[in-house]
Amino acid sequence: MDTQFITSLVIILATFALYIFIAIFNKAKETSDFYVAGRGVPPIWNGMAIGADWMSAASFIGMAGTIMMLGYDGLAYIMGWTGGYLLLTFLLAPQLRKSGSYTVPEFIGDRFKSKTALIIAAICTMIISFTYSIGQLSGSGVVIGRLFEIDAKLGTMIGVVLIAFYAAFGGMKGITWTQVAQYIVLIVAYLVPVIFMSLQITGNPLPWLSYGEIVGKLGELDRELGLSEYFAPFEKGTKWQFLALMFTLMAGTAGLPHVIARFYTVSTMKAARWSGAWALLFIGLLYFSAPAYAAFSRFILMTQVAGSKIAELPAWTKTWVDTGLLKVADTSGNGILEWNELIIANDIVVMATPEIANLGVFVIGLVAAGAMAAALSTAGGLLIAISSAFAHDIYYRILRPTATDKQRLNVGRITIIIATLLAGLVALNPPGAITQIVAWAFALATGTFFPALVLGVWWKRSNSKGLIAGLLVGLGVTLTYIFAAKYGGFTILGIIDTGAGVFGAIAAFATNIIVSLATKPPSQEIQDAVINLRYPEQMTYKDGEVYMEE
Amino acid sequence: MKRIEKRRADAYFREKNTYMVIYFIIWAIVSYGVVLFAEPLSDIYFNGFPLHYYMGAQGALAVFIILLFVNAFVGDKIDKKYGIDHNKNEAIGRGTTVDH
Repeated sequence: MDTQFITSLVIILATFALYIFIAIFNKAKETSDFYVAGRGVPPIWNGMAIGADWMSAASFIGMAGTIMMLGYDGLAYIMGWTGGYLLLTFLLAPQLRKSGSYTVPEFIGDRFKSKTALIIAAICTMIISFTYSIGQLSGSGVVIGRLFEIDAKLGTMIGVVLIAFYAAFGGMKGITWTQVAQYIVLIVAYLVPVIFMSLQITGNPLPWLSYGEIVGKLGELDRELGLSEYFAPFEKGTKWQFLALMFTLMAGTAGLPHVIARFYTVSTMKAARWSGAWALLFIGLLYFSAPAYAAFSRFILMTQVAGSKIAELPAWTKTWVDTGLLKVADTSGNGILEWNELIIANDIVVMATPEIANLGVFVIGLVAAGAMAAALSTAGGLLIAISSAFAHDIYYRILRPTATDKQRLNVGRITIIIATLLAGLVALNPPGAITQIVAWAFALATGTFFPALVLGVWWKRSNSKGLIAGLLVGLGVTLTYIFAAKYGGFTILGIIDTGAGVFGAIAAFATNIIVSLATKPPSQEIQDAVINLRYPEQMTYKDGEVYMEE
Repeated sequence: MKRIEKRRADAYFREKNTYMVIYFIIWAIVSYGVVLFAEPLSDIYFNGFPLHYYMGAQGALAVFIILLFVNAFVGDKIDKKYGIDHNKNEAIGRGTTVDH
């Protein structure tokens, strides 16, 4: 056991102890004054909690690496995963808050007065959250694999046990202050290495200002090697793929059940719009830094690692080669590692760069703790979304309305364990990089919930038949496109699997509108309830009149 | 509960939507618009970056954050103009969510 292993493990365990301490401390407090404490969380703290929920292994571990590999084309992830907050905060969050429902399937079941719609929405929630959690498990595999210097597959298995335990332990999730702590840990862990690298390379402590010149230099280095420049647009995919991916990530943000659920717990419509603004500010801190992380990593790899003698590679190469995610092969046989002989998986860039740049054991341990915070906080939320969709929406509301609290809790726990095991099984042989797997979850949300919720909130004429047809068609088109593009090589305008959501959304909007118009309009009561969502809490719409509470 | 003119309630709804449309136009220009014209923009440099890269990496995100805060401020202003009392909303809101 070396110093690095012990330092990383101690930091990870210390942060875990902090989360558990806060959870226990707050739980006792919250039961005493239930509503005041529960709903009275100020938007600024709620914004941090949303940030922790939102930023997963994909943002923390995967994104900078993806940008490094894709260059400009990877920036679709930066704009997509942030621009969606405008769709969410303007089009859906305040209105869903006013509706008073608690989960997305429940809103759909109530809005359309249909049990079939509720079941289909619950199944969609499970499919989306399941896909998303594969990415988280795969991410925890990278972290644990590096920590114990074992194959990432073994790391994933350990991650499965850890996450299943964490989510089944329950209580920790949903306690805002634990998530605030997780946010702080993960943002500090992300910013420290970027700032250090900025100092090391440019002498400027503000990476956001200093990496412009590095991006320029990367372009020069690429030109010397005869490669296309790092910042050249649309080198790794077509312009349409960029636009489709960006739309998919934006609309998916507004349609992800576990993200929307966070906005149900704010106090008012006003608090919903302020929470959205604070959330994006806090999320933005990481997203502003990811392209800088990518540029510095690539610069260090190109100038300090490439060109060194194979026999004299530093120690970090061996530990990463052991995880199976880094390959160094002297294919040209000249004894020197060249840039094109270095094959580095997207998913290890963030974890490996602090080691490559020699930032010290503490920073490396901190990054591992931050990555675990990101993977665990999101995986916990996802698994709870899956278990509540099954245990609450399907088992309790449809299958056995007479079930006791205890039975529901048990069904929920079993659901979590089965879902984690299945997701872990898929993650053993991840079907793509973390950001790519997570992008599929966004594509599915874009093809299903985004059209369903936008029409459900903004168009009173949308009825249950239109909704059900729209959900099924959207799900079918998105899934078919993902598989056809990934395994069949089928593409339209060069749009690949990650941009599939755009087709799902078009099909779902069209189906929902056409079927709704072709069938009977919803009852007057439902239409009134939809108009009611336009106004603030104080105004109530009834029978063509608006009443205001003074 | 006092009945108010529906015209007034609809004016509230319309005013909010007008602002929302403006926000979405700006949102679309800085993201989709810049991507559509990425090639010509790449000849312009800003702070060491080619402009298309800068907008993707920082510019669009900064505009998104500003728009969300402007929306929150303006939303509060519109609420005030129509006599919406936030404390009252909080009391009403508390009653609407079913706890599970």
